[in-house]
Amino acid sequence: MEFKRDDLIKYGLVAILAITAAFPFISDSVFLLNLFVLMLISIIFASAWNLLAYSGQGSLGHAAFLGIGAYASTLIAIQSGISPFITIFLGATVAAFIGVLIGLTCVRLKEWFLAMVTFGFAIIVQALTVSILAPMTGGWDGIASPRLVSPSIPGYQLIEYYAILVITIASLIAIWYIMKSRIGLAFLAIRENELEARAAGVDPVRYRLIAFAMSSYLAGVAGALQIHHIGYITPELYGVDNSFWPITFVILGGLGTLAGPVIGTIVLTIIWEGLKATGLTFGRYVIIGFILILTIIFLPKGLVNLPERLQVWWKGRGRKGIRAVPQKE
Amino acid sequence: MDNIGIFLQIMFWGLYAGCIYILLATGLNLIFGVMKIVNFAHGEFLMIGAYITATVFLLTGINPYVILLLSMLALVGIGAVIERLCFRPILGTGKLNEIFLSIGLIYIFQNGAAMIWGDAWQSVKSPYDGITVPVGSLNVPVDYIIIIAFTAAILIALFLFLKKTRIGMEMRATSQNRKGAKLIGINVERIDIISFGIGCALAAAAGTLWVVSGQVFNPYMGSIPAVKAFAIIILGGLGSIPGAIIGGLLMGIAENSAAYYLGGIWKDAISFIILIIVLVIRPTGLFGEKGE
Amino acid sequence: MKYQVLFIAALLLVAALIAGCTQQAATQQTTSAPQGVIKVGVIVSQTGPASNVGNNMWQSAQVAADKINANGGVTLKDGSKAQIKLIVGDDESTQAGGQKAATKLITDDKVDILVGGYSSAVTSAYEQTIAEYKVPYIVTGASSPIITHRTDIDTSYIFHHCPTTDTYGQYTTAFIDQVLRSAIAKKSGFAADRPLRLALLYQDTAFGKGVQTAVNNTITKDKLNIQLVSQQSFKMGESDFRTPLTAIKAANPDAVYLAAFPNEGAPIITQARRDIGLNTIFLNVENNDNSQFYKDLGQYGEGAIIESRFSPYTAPAGAVADGQSGYKQAYFTRFGTYPDMMGASTYEGVFIAAKAIGNAGTTDKATVRQALVNLKMPQVIEAMKDQTISFSPDFRESNFDLWMEQLAYNATIGETRPAIVWPDNLKTTDFTLPSWYTAGSA
Repeated sequence: MEFKRDDLIKYGLVAILAITAAFPFISDSVFLLNLFVLMLISIIFASAWNLLAYSGQGSLGHAAFLGIGAYASTLIAIQSGISPFITIFLGATVAAFIGVLIGLTCVRLKEWFLAMVTFGFAIIVQALTVSILAPMTGGWDGIASPRLVSPSIPGYQLIEYYAILVITIASLIAIWYIMKSRIGLAFLAIRENELEARAAGVDPVRYRLIAFAMSSYLAGVAGALQIHHIGYITPELYGVDNSFWPITFVILGGLGTLAGPVIGTIVLTIIWEGLKATGLTFGRYVIIGFILILTIIFLPKGLVNLPERLQVWWKGRGRKGIRAVPQKE
Repeated sequence: MDNIGIFLQIMFWGLYAGCIYILLATGLNLIFGVMKIVNFAHGEFLMIGAYITATVFLLTGINPYVILLLSMLALVGIGAVIERLCFRPILGTGKLNEIFLSIGLIYIFQNGAAMIWGDAWQSVKSPYDGITVPVGSLNVPVDYIIIIAFTAAILIALFLFLKKTRIGMEMRATSQNRKGAKLIGINVERIDIISFGIGCALAAAAGTLWVVSGQVFNPYMGSIPAVKAFAIIILGGLGSIPGAIIGGLLMGIAENSAAYYLGGIWKDAISFIILIIVLVIRPTGLFGEKGE
Repeated sequence: MKYQVLFIAALLLVAALIAGCTQQAATQQTTSAPQGVIKVGVIVSQTGPASNVGNNMWQSAQVAADKINANGGVTLKDGSKAQIKLIVGDDESTQAGGQKAATKLITDDKVDILVGGYSSAVTSAYEQTIAEYKVPYIVTGASSPIITHRTDIDTSYIFHHCPTTDTYGQYTTAFIDQVLRSAIAKKSGFAADRPLRLALLYQDTAFGKGVQTAVNNTITKDKLNIQLVSQQSFKMGESDFRTPLTAIKAANPDAVYLAAFPNEGAPIITQARRDIGLNTIFLNVENNDNSQFYKDLGQYGEGAIIESRFSPYTAPAGAVADGQSGYKQAYFTRFGTYPDMMGASTYEGVFIAAKAIGNAGTTDKATVRQALVNLKMPQVIEAMKDQTISFSPDFRESNFDLWMEQLAYNATIGETRPAIVWPDNLKTTDFTLPSWYTAGSA
């Protein structure tokens, strides 16, 4: 089963990759191109959140890193004139640094304390941005941010799209390596059972901080990409909505897996845009809420696990419920 | 106006405003104590309680303080349904799951309420609006006094219920030792539902009192108070009612001071700064916690 | 093995669906709109915290389009008449949502002109797209001057038809200086050169801070004899204002200017007068002029001032009053509720769009933009300076003739009602200080 699922994931991801790479040649809709760009950025952000959750830390305030990466990258680019392509990674480094600082306060906390503390940090960072740091950040009014690719270059939209696609793929490959490496195994260990991990010589504090650093770095990349794509940054970037969307994407797709954030983001984006077309307004959120709850209760491992669950259900029909079929994990 | 006078005034306003937090925090302590689950959507029960009271009041004109009981009963029912359908199936699968589930509930409740009632701010006028009572040098609207009185009454009733009735004792037993409670024959599933229901009823009371005091309300009103209530019970010590009360009052004072000295935007941030500082020093909260 | 194939097949199916939908949309573009249709894109917040205003704006646009089309539509250069077709885009009150809505309207629906926009933070996110595709955009709901003052992109296609925080800050401060000061001096027997003691209570957001900046700048620039004795802020959505009000009371102000939303302004005034004993004149920003505000205020609103341009209960006598009541009636008939001022400016925005296209005689965007630059049309339902709608040459902002209303308590209704007290060309009665008013001591 394990072998088949891995293959499935690999083929699935390759298929998605092929479609996204070929997409601009299938359709010439600028709207869809823009939508895909935003979706790719969301995939990076969701994967970043997922990485932290993989180590057992569920952050409710990940928008903080989105914003820090974006502001840092913007300010560095404006002050120094360096191209956004480079400042993205500098800004992400700032986000990673702050992430470690925040992590230091969180590492000894139980999960839901950590959730609350991270939620609080997003609010605190926003308050700082609009008050003490306002002269630098433009406060509530925000500031203009240099575009990733200047509109004066012909075909800039395609260049931007492929650049972001490359960065997304690179991020996913990086996460894949991390998960497979010793670090990834350590994350898994401290998530499953902290006591046993410690007994096995894995220091939870150290690896939790590493997880924070990596996750906030990637989140910073996503934030910087988004702002350089849009061209203007405001403190609303730290908002609660931005912290909650990646959670929804990842849970729907499958928490703790590589493909989970990817699939969850794509599926929910399609659903969301489709719901917009129906004219529903508040109803959209109600439906998303139902999807989230139903996933948590009935499909806890996410869509990634759906083929397996269907298979188990299929085999169990006609017998005394699905428990008649021994479930392999 | 002398400084003591101002200080006392602020303390009084803080006391009345704190009633809402105290009711919320007590409900959370109850639910967390018995079931050990984290429900960030608790504030939505406050919101539903508020809207039920407002709607019934506007339709029938019955005194809102009487509607309070109806609202609390309605929420016992709603709470029981949510517990059975949503939280029971995931009991034991980890706190993160509960948190994520509550996010889904928040989406559904807030936007469902917006669909039914619209998302504009509304308010209702209490039948006693305009009547004031002199208290010291202040002219206090009689509603505020009634609210404080009701909060005290509800808390006393809850205290008596937990201490004197059999179900109350079973709840306390379950919260102290769930396995042990099962062993001596307590139906913990039933206790779960009842606790959740009562917790929600307390939230409904908070919502009703919010409305009655003439404050504006909208579908999003519940989220910040809920998060703050969680911060309060962590600060005050999980499961400790006196801790929640003291924590609530401290929080109120800190918030108003921060808004005054640092600027409005810091009002929310200060609660979290205090929480973070306390947790860094004592990762289990101010007064420690009773078994997690 | 078969699952992998199934999965890939499913994904390819999805891709094909997307491609198919876009092809269909594209072909709809090329067979295009039937001759004689002007496509007006309306960007509003249909979801998110601003959705109340957003729906007002969208519905007002519809009322306007109906009226224009009923009167025959827009006449183009070749004599043909074109009907207005509105297409709505939901900016979801977020930057990403705004960009998606703008891109869809411009590149997919290929609109000829855009109207709308509320949150400045959201609007600034897609101004790039506007500049790039050079689509004229009449912003009718955003109150930040940044929209057209930005220097990093070309804002020449963006026209701002909505008063900014600069505007109402300036107006209100001028009113305080010219009218309030002399009334207070007369009542309290103060010397003529005594500075007026003003306190500011503002929302800690772009909106509130914008007003604060405007007030401070106006006082400095015009060298007004006003002293800001206290400036307190509160977070958006706050409901308990007693602490900042206590601080303000301790500073002994003659008047308090509130930069707040109605759900904050009404509790502020109520708590100030009832609980704190701060019995003074409260000045409010125009967005508070709606029926919920009056309802929540009750008797405590007596004497308060609202700077406004569109009120549920009053209007400058004459053409403006007729226009406004006609609009409100049409809106009520269609939707069962009453509109607010963002709706009013959006209503006018559609008329402005129609007029500009009519003047240009074509939907060619550059020509229409020029027509907007040169536009001089009679005011529609809101009072404009010189009774004309036109856009300033530097930042393309239109010039509203804002007025100040004073609230008087009507015991029969149980609420206060406004009457215009300033400027002289619009007023119906004089400003008076209520009997219970006490000035701040020096």
